[in-house]
Amino acid sequence: MGFSDLVIAAVLVVGCCYILYRSLWQKKGHCPGCDGGCDRSH
Amino acid sequence: MKSVVQLKDEVVAPADGYRDATVDSGARRVITVAVAGNPNAGKSTLINAIAGSRLHVGNWPGVTVEKKEASFEHQGTRIRLVDLPGTYSLSPYTQEEIIARDYLVQERPDLILNVVDSTNLERNLYLTVQILELGIPVVMALNMSDEAQEKGYRLDVKGIEEMLGVVAVPTAATRKSGLDQLLEAVVATAAAPKLRRPKKLNYGYDIETAAELLARELALESAPLLERFPERWLVLKIMERDEHVLRQVNFGDEALLERALHHLRSEHGDDVESLMAEARYGLASGLTREVLRKPELKKTELTEKIDRVVLNRFLGIPIFLGAMWLMFKLTFDLSKPFGDWINDMTGGPFKHWASILLGAIGAPDWTVSLATEGVISGVGFVLVFVPVIFLMMFFITFLEGSGYMARAAFVMDRAMHAIGLHGKSFIPMLLGFGCNVPGIYATRTLENPRDKALTALLIPLMSCGARLPVYVVFTGAFFPRSSGTVIWSLYVMGIALAIVMGLIFKKTLFRGEAPMFIMELPPYRMPSLHSLCVHTWEKGKHFLIKAGTYIFAVSVLVWFLLNLPWGVENRKDSYLGQAGQVMAPALAPLGFGTWQAASSLITGVIAKEIVVGTMGEIYAPKKEEAKQEFKPFGEEVKEVAVSFGKACRESVSNVVSTFGITSLDTQEKEERSALKGMVLKTFTPLTAYAFMAFVLLYMPCMVVAFAMRQEFNGWKWFGVAFAYQTVLAWGMACLIYQGGTLLGLGG
Repeated sequence: MGFSDLVIAAVLVVGCCYILYRSLWQKKGHCPGCDGGCDRSH
Repeated sequence: MKSVVQLKDEVVAPADGYRDATVDSGARRVITVAVAGNPNAGKSTLINAIAGSRLHVGNWPGVTVEKKEASFEHQGTRIRLVDLPGTYSLSPYTQEEIIARDYLVQERPDLILNVVDSTNLERNLYLTVQILELGIPVVMALNMSDEAQEKGYRLDVKGIEEMLGVVAVPTAATRKSGLDQLLEAVVATAAAPKLRRPKKLNYGYDIETAAELLARELALESAPLLERFPERWLVLKIMERDEHVLRQVNFGDEALLERALHHLRSEHGDDVESLMAEARYGLASGLTREVLRKPELKKTELTEKIDRVVLNRFLGIPIFLGAMWLMFKLTFDLSKPFGDWINDMTGGPFKHWASILLGAIGAPDWTVSLATEGVISGVGFVLVFVPVIFLMMFFITFLEGSGYMARAAFVMDRAMHAIGLHGKSFIPMLLGFGCNVPGIYATRTLENPRDKALTALLIPLMSCGARLPVYVVFTGAFFPRSSGTVIWSLYVMGIALAIVMGLIFKKTLFRGEAPMFIMELPPYRMPSLHSLCVHTWEKGKHFLIKAGTYIFAVSVLVWFLLNLPWGVENRKDSYLGQAGQVMAPALAPLGFGTWQAASSLITGVIAKEIVVGTMGEIYAPKKEEAKQEFKPFGEEVKEVAVSFGKACRESVSNVVSTFGITSLDTQEKEERSALKGMVLKTFTPLTAYAFMAFVLLYMPCMVVAFAMRQEFNGWKWFGVAFAYQTVLAWGMACLIYQGGTLLGLGG
């Protein structure tokens, strides 16, 4: 596995972890299916 | 000099509830309209009809009660519609009532659009009477006026307007009738709020005298309170000793309250709250008598005729079970061919095209494997369930819209009380048979947090569709002649254990009786196709987006776990394989203590059907990708179209044909035959049944976990579910295996 493979793999893993973090932790009970409608805009 | 911002902060809305509409950046008037009404008054339908695609669905902050909003222009005025939860009153008994009330009191909308069911005027007016206490201008949508007309009801619209000081407009949201007039009334009322003053209704001499006295005392001793809240509303709430309001306004002057209520109490007793409720009901009833003329009933109405059969104490449950059977049959028979089609497509052409595309751009070989075996397989698992979910939601929406779901809850009420719940909890549990995730989300229809939590804890015991592939593989291998009975026994096991756990929870975590609640039985009606589609999409898209997001990310991570350390030859040595080896000894007393079974169960935590997928990968011989032959691109595209047509035909023929597990077609059996062979070598009938029981009962899948976290704003209840289900699964599987071995069934 070369250096570039390592970088791609790391980016993918971090990206997936970020998706999980954003969808599950950051929204705290708000539904991810409606980004603008969770009263954050008001 | 004070800045503009500081000045703006100091502006307090006048206590009488009126305020001037704001203007947006384009100098247009912007009016905020809160839409309030009883459940089943047609509020959602009305909002959908008005706002259509401009509707934005979200949650009220901090809770999981749905919030709908829409912003649009009408006659040069920008209207912002805010849909409040459907409530029967503004008392602080349910989350919905508190949300609706807090919004009206704290946000002070420019106008309240009160949606009223014209066929049920008296009950709806109770909320109206409370809304008028706020002093905010009200436009009343006399909805379902078409149904009222069909019943021969005659409504005196002018009389309603005069008596209540509101603008009333007859509407029929399902037919989109009266909507223009309604919006015109909204704009006109918001333009001149002081001309459209809601009437101050008289609650009787004693109450009004006490209210006046209290208002005077408050003006002298707590004047700032009267600036922050609508005066009449605040006075009445303090008189009722509304704890929510007393806490909010920090009111603790008992002496003042005692002075104001002294006469009232001496005449009518201490229960001022009941006295006020009686006064409101009296007003609603009296007003109805004044403005509504009903024809003499010569024959029983259709709804009553149907209810005589549907709610019959002997026929009710069989009819309900029949309706559910039909719903499941239609859902699975109609959706299975499409699910199979998606499965075939993601497993065949899509993987092929992805590998060609990645090869063409010179991507490393491992990324091709990641894309095909990780991402496409993982996301494919979700997509396979999309037809089931949407069809299930469609039928559920139909049953809800037709009025039957309320009857189902009524029929099941007595049985559910045995486990400390009421009939309304049965609907989310029922949904759990299709997929536990919508079942968990459906608990939001329950008002009481105790019921929500207890129902959500029991839903994962309902055998969802995702467990079915596991059952099919194992029963096909070990119980080919009685697979239907074995699968049925697993469903029954889930229900029986839900009853047992319900009884245990009732005596431990959820002590006390199920609270009583009034079940409303709306009249039967045929929901419109448009409304069905809108509601189905609203319910289904959450699953699509949420599950898709999570599973996409988790699929990639699992692929890495199965392929790390890098270049691992044997999956047993991968991180996942190693984890399986660690867990395997714990499963030894259950009869399936192999690393393969353990690894499959670990990945099955993501979604139960992945148990079969992981087993397939572990047991299958290494594929020689290079030797695989693919058809030309054009032929594959044609195949996609042809197989979709075949799926449509199969879907229709499934419905037409008699019921049976016809949808588990031979193609699927053939595909899994290699896996069945390997399963036959490593399991016995007894360990296979113990394994299936374990898959049924062990911790809920990850999507359910996240759904529970979202519905309950934390991990507490998922933690409880995880703990009890792990113990229950291990205990049951151990009992089956050890008990069976003792009885000599272990061979």
